[in-house]
Amino acid sequence: MENLIVKLKEEIIEVLNLEDVKPADIDENAPLFGEGLGLDSIDALELIVLMEKNYGIKLKDPAQGKEIFKSIAVMAEYIAANRSK
Amino acid sequence: MNKNIYINSIKQISAQPPLTDEWFDNPVFYNEQYIRATDADYKQYFSPLEARRLGKILKRALLTSREAMQESGVQNPDAIITGTGLGCIENTEIFLDKLVREGEELLNPTHFMNSTHNTISSLVAIDAKCHGYNSTYAHKGISFECALQDAFLQMQSGKIGTALVGAHDEMTPAYFTLLKKAGYLGVENQVFAGETALAMMLSTEKTEKSLCKIENVEKFYGDISQYAIRDTQIDHIMVGVNGNAATDKIYYENCKKLFPNIPLLQYKNIFGESYTAPAFGVYAAALCLKKEKIPNQLRIKNYELRIEEKKTNKILIYNHFENKNHTFVLLSHNF
Repeated sequence: MENLIVKLKEEIIEVLNLEDVKPADIDENAPLFGEGLGLDSIDALELIVLMEKNYGIKLKDPAQGKEIFKSIAVMAEYIAANRSK
Repeated sequence: MNKNIYINSIKQISAQPPLTDEWFDNPVFYNEQYIRATDADYKQYFSPLEARRLGKILKRALLTSREAMQESGVQNPDAIITGTGLGCIENTEIFLDKLVREGEELLNPTHFMNSTHNTISSLVAIDAKCHGYNSTYAHKGISFECALQDAFLQMQSGKIGTALVGAHDEMTPAYFTLLKKAGYLGVENQVFAGETALAMMLSTEKTEKSLCKIENVEKFYGDISQYAIRDTQIDHIMVGVNGNAATDKIYYENCKKLFPNIPLLQYKNIFGESYTAPAFGVYAAALCLKKEKIPNQLRIKNYELRIEEKKTNKILIYNHFENKNHTFVLLSHNF
């Protein structure tokens, strides 16, 4: 799980173009939206694309996103349990 | 109904040092065929969260616009009007490349959002919290002049009092290669292919910082010999010659017919060629009028006309695109 969290942090930094942010700077338990990284709805779309492209997870219900994208730790747990790639 | 219209500030990012008029006294010359713009240190101006969705063209457009607004003292212009030949071509290329590679699935929204031409003008408006008139002209080589004319006509008719007019174009390596193959760029002896990021504030109010007055902006399509000259009191003509003998010849021939005995100036040797390069012609002419000086690098050395020069009060910026679209911007010092 620890490896997945680090990998996910790296992927998020790359896909969201977070220049100067290092994986160690991100608290995996901090909220991704609003506080914490301060992401917004367009970032949510980027994360949906990332999950499908890198882990083969297709989110069918948009309401699921709220729960899954709560923090990187929650996201990693969901990916570990549902990944097909 | 006609109003006086002034250029009150201009800011640029190009192959010359960014956000300054340093090129006027110390121009940088290039021998390469293709030069990307000399960027400012954007980290000074944008937070990482703000910068993460901005491609180069958007950072350049936002910064030149912010600086032009600040310099002019107008923080909320009545209109934001942009000319761009290629729009956000770098993001468009990334988006199209992914579209092909991913089989038209799993496309990143940010690249899609930033791949449209009118992203630039709308982003500047969002940044400035400007809810007024917002428009984009994507008309190849006359995009900037269309934007300028729109602002000019609306100001003349009293619809608006201030307008931020921009000219923004990127040149990617892939696009340069295509234009080189098409014979538009990279021709022997031609100036470098460059990039444009320029914002100017127009106003019906004159200020201490006003560079010049815009007397007129006209476009003409077709046989140039049919064009009727309205103003004969022109001291210099700034033309878009770029070293390509085939297109330069058109400038020299047309100027000889339309404006005999008026000395010509150039600007593309300093700023390079791009679809919106004519904006640099207006910028260079405006600065000449403001400083009451014409630097040597703008003079055309081999041009056959040699006449004694008097004080420059009016400069006409004349550009043509494929000898079909002709644009004329007349600037004056008389204000």
